[in-house]
Amino acid sequence: MTSVAAHAPAHGVHHGPTSFWRKYIFSTDHKIIGIQFLFVSLFFLLVGGLLAMQIRWQLGFPGKPMPGGGILPESMTAGGVILPEYYITLVTMHGTFMVFFAIMPLLVGVYANFLIPLKVGAHDMAFPRINMASFWLALTAGLIMFAGFFVPEGAARAGWTMYAPLSARPDLSGSNIGQKLWCLSIIFLGLSSILGSLNYITTVINNRAPGMTWFRMPLSVWALFITAILGLLALPVLSGAAIMLLFDQTLGTHFFDPAAGGQALLWQHLFWFFGHPEVYILILPAMGMVSDIIANGSRKPIFGYHSMVFAIVGIAFLGWMVWGHHMFMSGMNPMLGSTFMVSTMLIAVPSAIKVFNWMGTMWRGNIRFHVPMLNAIGFVGMFAIGGLSGVFMAATPVDMFIHDTYFIVAHLHYVLFGGSLFALFGAITYWYPKMFGKVMNERWGKIHFWLTMVFYNLVFFPMHIIGMGGQMRRLYDPTIYTFLKPQQPMNEFISICAFILFAVQIIFALNFLLNLKWGKKAPQNPWEDNGLEWTLPNPAPHGNWERPPNVYRGPYEFASPQVPEDYLPQTRKLPTDREPAAAGTGH
Amino acid sequence: MSHAAADNLMLPSRSFERGVDAYDIKLGMWVFLASEVMFFGALIGTYIILRFSVDQPWAQPGVILNVPLTAFNTFLLICSSVSMVKAFAAVADGDQKNLKFWLFMTMLGGAMFVGVQVFEYIKLLGHGFTPSGYREGSQLAEHALADPLKYGAATGGLYGSTFFTMTGFHGFHVTCGVVSMTYLFFTKALPGKYSQQDYRGIEAVGLYWHFVDLVWIILFTIVYLV
Amino acid sequence: MEAATHKHPNYVLIWLYLAVLTVVEVGVAFISHFSKSTLIVLLLFFALWKALLVALYFMHLKFERWNLRTIALIPIPLALILIIIVLQEGL
Repeated sequence: MTSVAAHAPAHGVHHGPTSFWRKYIFSTDHKIIGIQFLFVSLFFLLVGGLLAMQIRWQLGFPGKPMPGGGILPESMTAGGVILPEYYITLVTMHGTFMVFFAIMPLLVGVYANFLIPLKVGAHDMAFPRINMASFWLALTAGLIMFAGFFVPEGAARAGWTMYAPLSARPDLSGSNIGQKLWCLSIIFLGLSSILGSLNYITTVINNRAPGMTWFRMPLSVWALFITAILGLLALPVLSGAAIMLLFDQTLGTHFFDPAAGGQALLWQHLFWFFGHPEVYILILPAMGMVSDIIANGSRKPIFGYHSMVFAIVGIAFLGWMVWGHHMFMSGMNPMLGSTFMVSTMLIAVPSAIKVFNWMGTMWRGNIRFHVPMLNAIGFVGMFAIGGLSGVFMAATPVDMFIHDTYFIVAHLHYVLFGGSLFALFGAITYWYPKMFGKVMNERWGKIHFWLTMVFYNLVFFPMHIIGMGGQMRRLYDPTIYTFLKPQQPMNEFISICAFILFAVQIIFALNFLLNLKWGKKAPQNPWEDNGLEWTLPNPAPHGNWERPPNVYRGPYEFASPQVPEDYLPQTRKLPTDREPAAAGTGH
Repeated sequence: MSHAAADNLMLPSRSFERGVDAYDIKLGMWVFLASEVMFFGALIGTYIILRFSVDQPWAQPGVILNVPLTAFNTFLLICSSVSMVKAFAAVADGDQKNLKFWLFMTMLGGAMFVGVQVFEYIKLLGHGFTPSGYREGSQLAEHALADPLKYGAATGGLYGSTFFTMTGFHGFHVTCGVVSMTYLFFTKALPGKYSQQDYRGIEAVGLYWHFVDLVWIILFTIVYLV
Repeated sequence: MEAATHKHPNYVLIWLYLAVLTVVEVGVAFISHFSKSTLIVLLLFFALWKALLVALYFMHLKFERWNLRTIALIPIPLALILIIIVLQEGL
């Protein structure tokens, strides 16, 4: 089926016999690094989930002893009842772990690393050793963050957004070393991210196989490329801010100290200047992978490929100018409030274009409802809901009422869980054969999808309602407020559904882990897809190809009239195809 | 990787689609420098924002910091930038001797810059100028009490915070540059491993070095002279 | 300075420009009859001129392809947006 010689395992990087350590632990192979990120990030996803379970216990059953709470130390629980100081730590660290150590590395650390060289036809990343450094820095950052739980007074407590002056003053927050560890961890993570972005950008610009022009790249690669640019330019600002915060905490500097002329709002501006591009980092790769999966599942080219590319670029571009919408209630200059409202409303347009294009792709398609397709369609629906609630927030006068309520919590979970996480369930299933040479079980994949979809909506949709009813974020005990008491049964309901939702993920975990060893061997191209990665054996060999393959067409040639099959791989040469200009020359 | 002997690695790889007409390491360094612009932008931006939003006056230029010494230091760094580009031009022309000479001069210039900065820091800290402001009971604190306008007594805390953070991180970057150059000098330049067909490391470290010089040109102006 | 791939610019001349600009800058900073705003504008002008000389000639940006120049330039408007917007807080 393929014209590419893919059998020779080693490309010219002639290694001698490599030890286990060099092959699997200190590897410079982008595929191994991607898999390393996968295991570490899934672990931190579990950590984030466990923290969420404790939050939901306290919110659903305030003041009641938590099952298993007895094993936690006295500083966290009293007789199994979660203490307020521990609750605020839970909320802070749940957000921190999920954003920085679960979703971001799952989307970028795993898939940028694993997919980019394969999908553009390169041997590996442009800088393999820097790539390895990027992983180890990220892991170090994660361990530093995790260490926060084991220091006196526990982990950081000022919310995942670490607002100053609370975060700078241990006498106010109650956490000293934990706060400092948070800053240190973020500085390491920032460097890891920047080094990763460096690699992704250079590889996409300079190492595309002959014939892989910009507008023949899959949308997953476009999305990961643009995401890398966002990361490259946003993370340094966060690192700078974290350094300043760390200095305020340790060296006695006064960046965020109003008493000495510093500005508390400066932290918010710096943080959200990073923070808003960050949320696009958390969604764009998911959108890109969903595009690939939906085209494949619909057996149709993606609807409006060029507008999809421009939408990604548009979202990334506008994303730099909307950060103030996180600060409508901060007391910033009101003139800024209006400016940010307009720019935020504009950004709904490219996102909507993407949603309509996914629907257009599926329209009259020959749809295969495989597990990745189910998750991808789920993504589209849930992202649409999350995006719609975002339109409410964009309007400053409306945000005055819903800011810092559970309405916002609902919005962010719809886009991050309903969006990114469903996309990840789909992506993990889709590229599992390429990574491990096995397939995940289809039936259990479907059961997992449907149960997750049902319970996920039962958990997060009601949060829109209790948020409108006035329940604030980071609240320890809603029942102390008379006006919130009537909503408490809803909180209990949400919590019970959340426990079930968490339990359902065991299905995914087992499906993922057990099939690593006992799964059915995967055929080379199980999804009958066009991407370059499917022309290689499973798992793909070190160095990928002997020589970069020639590319003759775009990535979404499904149902092409030129061939009897309903897919036409990018590297398959038809008699009518010409060789690409840069084919097979040079070094 | 069967390629002909003496492939010119300074040219972009022709096995791939046309990128930016620059080999990977050069593109990578430019991309990295873009992130550094954002990093220093955040630090310098913070300084500008804090200084121009605060009501009380800032200390007058030259009162706390040693402008003549730093002006000399600035000139030194600029000279090291020139020696760097001369090293680059030398190896581009195949001149091994001048490559080694000018690279060594650059390392020397960079090391001297850091030395002068460290000396300056020690003097400042000794007089009482710290990251948290004018240290209580120090000479500087006394001067500030006597003449609050000239010494910017009310904004001393911010002055210290921004000065040490900006120049400290710049100095850290210079140090990393000197260390990298020393490494390349001993492992590659001295043994003659650079040639007209491959001097990528020199160009990359050169770009980094010029960037560090560029940042200092801005810093010197807005921190020492304004 | 012979040409390998292209003719090298005259680095010594650029060095001279930079040295002169530095001296002028320091001189201007100590002339007391400029108002503060004029002083800032003048000093920034000199600093930017020097920075441009380094970027265009030492870093070879003048001779690079347009897309490499774009990569180098992109962060600058972003940093400016951050600074200008946050400056509004102080006004």
